[in-house]
Amino acid sequence: MSEMRELMVELTEKILKENCSKELVDQAEEGIWQGKLWKLIEEAGIFTIGISEDSGGTGGDYADGFHVLRLVGKYAVPLPVSETLIGNWLLQEMGLQPETNPLTISIKKDEFINIQEKEQGFLVTGKLTKVPWGRFAKKVVTIGKKEDETYFILLPIEGASIEKSTNLAGEPQDTISFDQTVTELQMKFVNVEGLIEKVQDLQGLSKAAMMSGAMENILDMTVQYTREREQFGRPIHRQQAVQQYLAILAGETAASLTITNKAIEAFQENNDVYELASARVKTSSAAGKVAELSHQVHGAIGVTYEHRLHQLTRRLWAWREEAGNENDWAEKLAHKILNDDKSTLWEFLTRTGSKNPVG
Amino acid sequence: MYKFVLPVVEFTEEHNRFRLEVREFLQKEREKGTYETRCDSWLNGFNPEFSRKLGEKGWIGITWPKKYGGSERSALDRYIVIEELLAAGAPVAGHWIADRQSGPLLLRFGTEEQRKFYLPKIAKGECYFAIGMSEPNSGSDLASVSTRAVKTDGGWILNGTKTWTSGAHHAHYMIVLCRTRPKDSQNRHAGFSQLIVDLSSPGVSIRPIKYLTGAAHFNEVFFENVFVPDENLVGQEGNGWKQNMAELAYERSGPERILSTYPLLEELIKELKENQDLPRLTEAMKLVAELNSLRQMSIGVAKYLEEGKDVGITAALIKDMGTKFEKLVAEMTRLLVNATPSLDSEKTIEKYLAQSILHAPGFTLRGGTTEILRGIVAKGMVAQ
Ligand SMILES: Cc1cc2nc3c(=O)[nH]c(=O)nc-3n(C[C@H](O)[C@H](O)[C@H](O)COP(=O)(O)OP(=O)(O)OC[C@H]3O[C@@H](n4cnc5c(N)ncnc54)[C@H](O)[C@@H]3O)c2cc1C
Repeated sequence: MSEMRELMVELTEKILKENCSKELVDQAEEGIWQGKLWKLIEEAGIFTIGISEDSGGTGGDYADGFHVLRLVGKYAVPLPVSETLIGNWLLQEMGLQPETNPLTISIKKDEFINIQEKEQGFLVTGKLTKVPWGRFAKKVVTIGKKEDETYFILLPIEGASIEKSTNLAGEPQDTISFDQTVTELQMKFVNVEGLIEKVQDLQGLSKAAMMSGAMENILDMTVQYTREREQFGRPIHRQQAVQQYLAILAGETAASLTITNKAIEAFQENNDVYELASARVKTSSAAGKVAELSHQVHGAIGVTYEHRLHQLTRRLWAWREEAGNENDWAEKLAHKILNDDKSTLWEFLTRTGSKNPVG
Repeated sequence: MYKFVLPVVEFTEEHNRFRLEVREFLQKEREKGTYETRCDSWLNGFNPEFSRKLGEKGWIGITWPKKYGGSERSALDRYIVIEELLAAGAPVAGHWIADRQSGPLLLRFGTEEQRKFYLPKIAKGECYFAIGMSEPNSGSDLASVSTRAVKTDGGWILNGTKTWTSGAHHAHYMIVLCRTRPKDSQNRHAGFSQLIVDLSSPGVSIRPIKYLTGAAHFNEVFFENVFVPDENLVGQEGNGWKQNMAELAYERSGPERILSTYPLLEELIKELKENQDLPRLTEAMKLVAELNSLRQMSIGVAKYLEEGKDVGITAALIKDMGTKFEKLVAEMTRLLVNATPSLDSEKTIEKYLAQSILHAPGFTLRGGTTEILRGIVAKGMVAQ
């Protein structure tokens, strides 16, 4: 780990450990914006990791950002951190300035905003669905269409009508509609297919990092609980059946963390072959097992609202569907294998096939 | 809290070139007819000629010092060699145990004379070892081992029975875990030692045990007043338990706990690709993603082992998951392709499927059962 990464990870962990309490996450779920925590994260420079200091960012690289997102998952941070961070990365690529106000992203195949240029500004019309944190975000990064050309646009949400909805973790996923709304916006010409692909990778990997962070926390909590809880006159970790579950939890968690870390490096090096898709297939399928077994070990106390466990398990159930579930990513991987038809599986896996000739 | 954080390892261009060198050799040997690919070849594929060829290449004991016949290459180079051998399903059973655990054990605990005597022969691919741990009444509960050695002039007199000993019928030596002192009711792990037993010594008899396929690759080994000279004691008298645990870390941590059914997975993907069967290929990708995850973990452990880190618990974790995966490959393949498993089928995939299904029960037993491994992992975590 680079020094920068170590510092960033340490700082983030400290902030979140001290400030992102069970009660705060509860409050957020009741619909209250956690402005104080937002401010702390902003001041730490987390929203502009991966953006050079010259461009007004914190410095570091994408990988640093993903490692911080792992902690965002670990502490169930109820704020659009990954959306703002990834949004800023996209803005940077488009040559636009980073934002420190909450951002959200809605880049989907069949959804776009129609744009007309008028004297008084832009007139925008269109509907974006399941927009994470839509109601709290100031601007959305999305796709615009003007006279048959497609654009990457940064669009203020003020003036849109919002239909609220939430995912299983109580995180907002709102529908945002613009109807002849007059607004300012920034737009850049873009290849939409490339953009969709890129955003799916970024969001997919961010969810893998967040899920593996959540699992890390769940494993710690569960091991701890088995030390404290006594039945039949001894701690429950002394029961063989409980030990078996702990080992499975540890395995699923360790595998998710390891392949996600590998995927982060590959992505950073612009060298991803199967790592990212494998990380998503692994973490999404591990998510269900980890949630199930951690609840089983916790008994009834773990299913109460009072207990912290559900803040993490509900996030696993929500996130494993987001930016593609394990089937979607398995299909992506299948396409990669089909497209590399000259290589054997072993050549593909060891990066020695026709697509990765050894120099 | 025990952390299962493993390093991210990047193979270099140089590593990849070496990998291709190994692969090319294996391909040529297969084409020449030296061997036929099979599943679980590291326990069942015995071929002395092939072992010797690997020895000539310097690929056995590859990390060991040159003065003991090794090549002083890195743990990652070793990982590449054994991974390629397993993926090719090459016949490595002869020397596998000596290369994997007996040699490293001697390197760590053996005397200079022992190293000089055994290691060069192992590295040549001419000297095989067997694992003498299990007994008829001591499986998971290894501390109940009752084979015992009593001190005599210039050596030890060994009596007892070992069982399930893979390859003992081909091996030259066995490292025997035995009692050299009576049981200590205060400490179950005290009083053990490890002895190198020459399997051609008077008093040793070896009886093959047929596996459920009818083939015999493991054995029962009897010791009746076998004389073992002093110089064959490994490490310290009484330190056997600790040494044996170190040996088990080598035994459990390698890629053979993930790749025993790899040739079948390769065939499965090949067939689904040929059929352009996207839905089933997508199903099969869940195996591939699991393999990628396990492989990264396993490579990370190899790296840590080289750095001298204690990986016992992580190795147990990966072995548990890896052997479950090996079984899953067979169970998923049968549902994804139209194949009837048969050992003598003309169709490669049917043959590999048969080998995998029939050998599967052993995967999660040998080297420590699933249940025991999970206990090790859980206790390790809780203790931290
Ligand atoms: C193919 C193969 C090759 C082998 N090769 C060798 C070899 O070369 N050398 C060698 O020394 N040994 C070898 N073995 C033996 C192997 O190490 C043992 O099979 C293993 O340690 C389990 O012992 P056991 O078979 O006596 O089962 P047991 O220990 O009798 O176990 C039976 C069942 O009870 C369970 N069980 C036992 N104790 C516990 C517990 N405390 N908690 C929970 N469950 C428990 C086990 O998990 C298992 O499911 C080999 C085995 C196989 C299958």
